[in-house]
Amino acid sequence: MQDKDIPDYCIEQLIKAGADKAQCVYSSGEKKELNVDAGEFSLFRTNANHGVSIMAIKDQKKGSLSINKIAKDDIDQSIKTVLKMAESSMQDESYDISEYQEAESFSKGNKEPALNTMYDRMEEFMDYSANTFPTTIIEQAILDFSSGTSYYRNSNGVSFDESEGSYSFSVMFTSKEGKDISSFNSAGFSSLDIDLALHEGGSINRLLEESAAHVRTKAVPNKFTGDIIVTPDCIMSFMGFILGNLSDFRLIAGTSLFRELMNQQIVHNSLSIHSKPLSDNLSGGYFVTSDGYKAEDLTIIKNGTLQTFLLSLYGSKKTGLERVPNSGGSLIIDTGETPLEDMIKSVDKGVLLSRFSGGSPSDNGDFSGVAKNSFYIENGNLKYPISETMVSGNIINMFQNIKHISKEEVNFGDEIFPWIQFEGITVS
Amino acid sequence: MINKDLNKYSSHFSRYTELRMQENRNNHISMVNGDVMGNSISSSSGVSSRVYNDGNWGFSSSPDLSDSAIEYVVKNASDNVMFMNKRNKEQCGFILPDISGHHEVDLSTNCVRNDQRQWIDFLSNIDDYIANKYSFLSSRTVVLSGLDMEKSLLTSAGSTSYSMTPRGIMYISLTMDNNGEPVDLMDVFGGLGQLEDHFLDPSHFYNDIDILVEHLQKKSNGVYADAGMKDVILDADLAGILAHEAIGHTTEADLVLGGSVAGEFMGEQVASELVTLVDYANTINNQVCPVPVYIDDEGTPSTDTVIIEDGSLKSFMHNKDSARHFNTTPTGNARAYAFSDEPLIRMRNTAIQPGKSTLKEMISSIDDGYYLMKSSNGQADSTSEFMFGVPLGYEIKGGKLGNAIKDTTISGVAFDVLKTIDMISSDMTWSAGGMCGKKQWIPVGMGGPAIKCKVNIGGR
Repeated sequence: MQDKDIPDYCIEQLIKAGADKAQCVYSSGEKKELNVDAGEFSLFRTNANHGVSIMAIKDQKKGSLSINKIAKDDIDQSIKTVLKMAESSMQDESYDISEYQEAESFSKGNKEPALNTMYDRMEEFMDYSANTFPTTIIEQAILDFSSGTSYYRNSNGVSFDESEGSYSFSVMFTSKEGKDISSFNSAGFSSLDIDLALHEGGSINRLLEESAAHVRTKAVPNKFTGDIIVTPDCIMSFMGFILGNLSDFRLIAGTSLFRELMNQQIVHNSLSIHSKPLSDNLSGGYFVTSDGYKAEDLTIIKNGTLQTFLLSLYGSKKTGLERVPNSGGSLIIDTGETPLEDMIKSVDKGVLLSRFSGGSPSDNGDFSGVAKNSFYIENGNLKYPISETMVSGNIINMFQNIKHISKEEVNFGDEIFPWIQFEGITVS
Repeated sequence: MINKDLNKYSSHFSRYTELRMQENRNNHISMVNGDVMGNSISSSSGVSSRVYNDGNWGFSSSPDLSDSAIEYVVKNASDNVMFMNKRNKEQCGFILPDISGHHEVDLSTNCVRNDQRQWIDFLSNIDDYIANKYSFLSSRTVVLSGLDMEKSLLTSAGSTSYSMTPRGIMYISLTMDNNGEPVDLMDVFGGLGQLEDHFLDPSHFYNDIDILVEHLQKKSNGVYADAGMKDVILDADLAGILAHEAIGHTTEADLVLGGSVAGEFMGEQVASELVTLVDYANTINNQVCPVPVYIDDEGTPSTDTVIIEDGSLKSFMHNKDSARHFNTTPTGNARAYAFSDEPLIRMRNTAIQPGKSTLKEMISSIDDGYYLMKSSNGQADSTSEFMFGVPLGYEIKGGKLGNAIKDTTISGVAFDVLKTIDMISSDMTWSAGGMCGKKQWIPVGMGGPAIKCKVNIGGR
């Protein structure tokens, strides 16, 4: 049996064995990864893998199974097991698979990496950081190329093929002068090519520069209520709570704060958030959703107004709300009109927040945590790098009190974010 | 079941080589408000090889367990290190410590194995108990999660090992409304062992559920903590995460090389003399730890690492390469999560050693402070500055427990906080489901006694 035939075989066998509906994905891929540890080249790793994920619905009961053994005997055994799992489960009318769509194939990126160029880029990065930021230690840097193919099939005749290859770079660093040490920080980006010097990707150069400045820090002078300007690197620390309240778990569990607020303003009217897995501006993204639909770009919040929940097929049927036509992620926040420099100038007392080390927010959005790799702002000027400083507030209130969104943005490959200025945050 | 004996593949080795065969098996069932949201099992198996030469590593993995695939993986790992050696000649001549060991341990359950129907019935019973007794709750989530990690290892230094290390966990998360705002609380049960070792009779958990709901009700009427530096008692859950996140990570030798603050403190007094902090390999007081490691994934016999002894920083945690760098002995801390992962320096079971006080004495000693019981998450820094989420705690006023507090966070610089410890309880509790993320996620043991110290607590 050819690898590509595995999903069709699984569907056929599952239906023959009594499943009412079935879904199967076969995927295979390879990763090549260069590692630097403590400033030295350390490891070259290659991983090959493949796997089959099977889902069966019988009498509106569901079982799911995934394995990475693809011999016929293993697959036949898995088919028996997943059916037994479904039979053992509880009925739920919301279990379903995607309806018939035209078969399509999608592809993005290269199949093979430029291995020597990867090494050259890593070497160039290490030389650049050592020469430009001599007090900064590269704790770990990882440059990888991942490629893969997947075949999605279900018993409604859905057939999608996807293949892609992309590069990903991440780096973790600390700066040190004598016994003075900065907080660690990390940065990264993904890309379909490796044309760019690694330090020019995402916000890597800016964060390396800030790290070098952070070896000597102090706390803010006193407790105050003021503005925080959240950098693109840090915005997901807060936006994750907003998105979580729009997603399956909270809507099904009945704990979403936005359940009754469709088409109503939930955040400040300057904020628009999109999920665009098909965007040419993003090297990440995807073509097929995890529940078997062709993915579409969409707007989640437009000028502060909620446009869609982020519900899967199951979540949609369970709540009676509309299904979202993608699997989330690939986020883009629209830029604003204010240059970052002017945003800083507009702050009487506040913090430029580059990293947030916080507890999980309460279900009502209350949060508190430590400002890391961040700067104190006073009278419109960046005064000094801070440590042992806590910021606290409520995430819903925070997003309803946006003062400015920057003209500038950072493209991380998987998402594009600007700087956002929030007012009324407690800093202590 | 994977192949326990890999010796026949040693003929493929030409340099320092590790060969590991591994299978991870997961079982996950989640129930939300009585509906089965997840019912899945998965397994991931394969073989990997790592080769060391002239200061570089080459690594390769494959899901194919055939003899020819294993031969290919060893050759590919060797080719990968040659690629590195060709481009990077700065570390020529480095040689790893020559150390080996042999161990075989199978911690599979002796109970009859349940099928999926029985686990779903178990969860239904738990959920029914909660729904019937506490109908005012707005949401109930109950999750069962099992992980079996089965590994066999052969190294060119002569080490052989086989281990089957399971973990079985149940999470219960409950939410109630308080004036339209949701308030939630979660607890975790289980630990080392398969699901059958912990979850045969749902009624054994009814009392735990009653206690969880009682805390949740008190929390829903809770007060905001008064922000600032306070005397607190960190119960085992939080003392464990302090030991792991804020101290443990700074003393992993690879992070020391990466600039962590602990590199400056070796031999110095970094904590109160009451504090001895150990990363236990596998056993404490004749009890098997939550994540027992007997031979690590580089083939080094695992030994306890005494990180802090009587307040003084004594040792870092090492793999072979960091031990070479620091000219010391590997401690058996090299661990990998999946067959396709390379071993990294990871903690095993990290805890402060118990002291002599009772919890009651500790609470009585505080006039104005907090008893902090659970952690929701934790992060720490190379500077040892830490932040932990606290979803459950109580005021202490005049030596007595007072109101519950709302969700809060605590923060501080761990090496400063350790110096403020003036009481440690005599008991020892391990958290059920500790996981640690450092390139790879991996199960860890975290826990300890309760400690009394000063930390910065967040308020409103």
